[in-house]
Amino acid sequence: MSIISQDVSLAPAPNEVPVARRARTSINRRGFRRFAIALVLPFGLLLAWWIASNQGWLPEQILPSPAYVYSTALEMIASGEIFYHAGVSLRRVVVGFLFGALAGLKLGMAMGLSRRVDDYVRPLFLAFAQIPTLGWIPLLMLIFGIGETLKIIVIAKGALVPMTINTAAGIRGVPESFVEVGHALRFSRLQTLRLIVLPGAAPSIFTGIRYGLTHSWTALVGVELLASSEGLGYLLVWGRQMFWLDVVIVAMIAVGVIGFLMDKGLDVSEVYVQRWNDREGE
Amino acid sequence: MSLSTFTRRAALAALALTFLASPTLAEERLKINIGYAAIGLDNRPYAEGTSAATARAGEYLEKEFGNDPNIKIEWFFFKGAGPAVNEAFANNQLDFAYQGDLPSLIGRANGLKTKYLLASGARKPLYLAVAKDADIKAVAELKGKKVAYQRGTNGHLAAIKILEANGLTEKDIQVINLDSAGTVAALTSQDIDAAFGDTTLINLASKGNAKVIYTTKGDDPRFGRNAGIIGREDFINQHPEITQRIVDAFVRAAQWSSDEPNRATLFELWHKSGTPVPILEDYFSNDKLAYRNSPLIDDLLVSQYEEQGVKAKEFGLIRRDVSVEGWFEPKYLKASLEKLGLQNFWQAYGANGKPLGS
Amino acid sequence: MSVPASFRTRRLVRIRRGLTLPVVLLVLWEVSSRGGLVDARFLPSLEEVYFTAKRELIDNNLIGELGFSLFRNVVGFFIGSGLGILFATLLALSRTADALITPTFNGLKQISLLAWIPLISIWFGFGEQAKIVFVAIAAFIPVVLNTYEGMRNAPRDLIEVGHALQFTRVQRIARILVPSALPSIATGVHLGLIYSWLATVGAEYFLAVGPGVGGLIIAGRERFDMALVMVGVLILGVVGFILNRLAATVESYLLRWRATTH
Repeated sequence: MSIISQDVSLAPAPNEVPVARRARTSINRRGFRRFAIALVLPFGLLLAWWIASNQGWLPEQILPSPAYVYSTALEMIASGEIFYHAGVSLRRVVVGFLFGALAGLKLGMAMGLSRRVDDYVRPLFLAFAQIPTLGWIPLLMLIFGIGETLKIIVIAKGALVPMTINTAAGIRGVPESFVEVGHALRFSRLQTLRLIVLPGAAPSIFTGIRYGLTHSWTALVGVELLASSEGLGYLLVWGRQMFWLDVVIVAMIAVGVIGFLMDKGLDVSEVYVQRWNDREGE
Repeated sequence: MSLSTFTRRAALAALALTFLASPTLAEERLKINIGYAAIGLDNRPYAEGTSAATARAGEYLEKEFGNDPNIKIEWFFFKGAGPAVNEAFANNQLDFAYQGDLPSLIGRANGLKTKYLLASGARKPLYLAVAKDADIKAVAELKGKKVAYQRGTNGHLAAIKILEANGLTEKDIQVINLDSAGTVAALTSQDIDAAFGDTTLINLASKGNAKVIYTTKGDDPRFGRNAGIIGREDFINQHPEITQRIVDAFVRAAQWSSDEPNRATLFELWHKSGTPVPILEDYFSNDKLAYRNSPLIDDLLVSQYEEQGVKAKEFGLIRRDVSVEGWFEPKYLKASLEKLGLQNFWQAYGANGKPLGS
Repeated sequence: MSVPASFRTRRLVRIRRGLTLPVVLLVLWEVSSRGGLVDARFLPSLEEVYFTAKRELIDNNLIGELGFSLFRNVVGFFIGSGLGILFATLLALSRTADALITPTFNGLKQISLLAWIPLISIWFGFGEQAKIVFVAIAAFIPVVLNTYEGMRNAPRDLIEVGHALQFTRVQRIARILVPSALPSIATGVHLGLIYSWLATVGAEYFLAVGPGVGGLIIAGRERFDMALVMVGVLILGVVGFILNRLAATVESYLLRWRATTH
């Protein structure tokens, strides 16, 4: 029986390719060489782009010149516009993700700890999970309008599903014998949960967080594209409608950079939590 | 060894595909793609209120090429309005299009190679409607409110001009970017406080779901918005005769749409877009059909486009200077008017808004 | 072969419990919409949803609309996952390509899928191709990531066996890399299928109007027709579910040999 048949969220997280990790080993000479080689393609592309638009091979309505995009980026940084919109989007994601992830953690724990709860909730939950987050947006728009509430709910929903499923699976995966050790040590229920079950489920919960954050971020862009008057998604729509490809590209880069930073942040905190976990276990 | 065989096979397959994909040269088939920067109610492929909409619903172009089996006319309607038409022009997916002033100026500022062939739907009024429970009675009271319009359309520029005349800028209101169908939904559910638009808003108000509190109709003509038929430069250069016939067909549609006896039939024809006839009557009340449906590229129109370009730059909608010089291409229109004997059918206006030659 | 009685009762209990919540919700829904406890605009009666579904299916060619969506989905998915497997094989096989391209790819993939919409619509216009390209990108990314990972993690000893047997490049791919990466490829393809369905909906929302289930949902919202939106959302879910099951079946079929050899 494959678990991913139930939900996307249990497959290896898309961001967990070990490439990045290998690069981290040390900043030795080999690492530096790798780094230099890695930069060849982006700079090559940049150069090709620059030459192509300088020579007029690339019509500006298809791709504006890199110099123009660069000056727009500087302008948007200097005026603070890009930070304003990125800030709005980040705030939405943080709030929505926290709601969704906490709810998912609770629900997942309940499902993981109790067969009964799992039996009652899982089928309905999985049925809901089959519908892409984007699918929910129009329905939620009818109920909640196009304000801030809508955005938070959509983002929270993005985080809820992977968080719930992974938490439940993680808790289920904690070996029975570990829990029995807890019993032998006369741990209270709370102690068993805190000292045995949760640490055991931590890697899986982390997968849930990683997925949840990715989904939340995608959901945010989606909901901002559909209805918004600020945020990075709004900047994308705005740029598209005004035919400002330079603004579109700057907004895309901002979306990418934030995605990257969130990913790195998770990497760091995962290592940290894992270390703390190991120490606690000793 | 086996890799090179693979490469060879791939190359052959690619070659075969190119041949299949390219049209058979012998037949000289031509598909003319016409875009329209709007869409009917519930995405019906029709529109209203312009001579271009008449040409569509009355099949003027299809009839013009009725005896040329190798020429096919295809219409495309865009929910994304003018900005979406620009995207299509950028991909050479359109040969001609009906488009409003701001988006075509934006396209021009971005290097789209087009020509302005004739006016259509110029001098369209704009309306401001507020949600039915909203306590907004004048434009100046929009400050801080949620106001919807579709960014990058000619309504957008007109809306800013109206705001400006009332001491407001775009930054004083919360702009919600919605297309006309989205506006109807949001205004009905009172998600937004107000919206700029045209027939959809009159329709909504007639059902009691909104209140129209202002219209440019009868106000300063500078607040109006313009539109016209734009052609792709490459197509025009390659097929001047076909372009002439296209313009002929649009001029005929404009003539028919300007004849007062046709008023009732005209609205009936435009009703294909889903807009009720009484709404169209209201939309055209006190306006001569010939005034609204004139195809002329007169001094008034040219000066209006120039001014729109300057204003758009001033409001930060276009970030480079855009020149309309060399963009207007009136020779096809002129030839049509002569051919059809319509030189004096429409009144030309001077840049000052006064009738010329009277 | 008889199933132990305890197992059978356990199953029955699970089914009973699993059905409880949906049934309770449906009853609550019906009671509140009939009893006027909730605005019918937000919660139309079950009957209305049913009639809307029937009307759309019979009069408005819902199946046809769904066909359009599925067509886009399938074409985009095959293009994206096919190219994805090829691309990942290249990266896994060639050290140079890996060093040159992988970091850039990892950078680009950080850009959330939907953020590509404006550029895609400007580059590909309003036709079917823009939507298909978008769906293909959605499938491409997870397929590349998982295929690459699977191939890079091919057991060392197997690769050495290949060297000992003096395998050619093609043999190495066909006999060692692909079989050992098959589970990862299957995972990637499965994810690709799910993401491409999400992208199909996204394309119909954000790119030019055309037939499709996504367009139907948007139209439902614009007309404030909750029943229509619900029908659309239901279809999204059912299709998502079927695609999911299909992928799982194919996956377990492809991987059936693993159970016997390991």
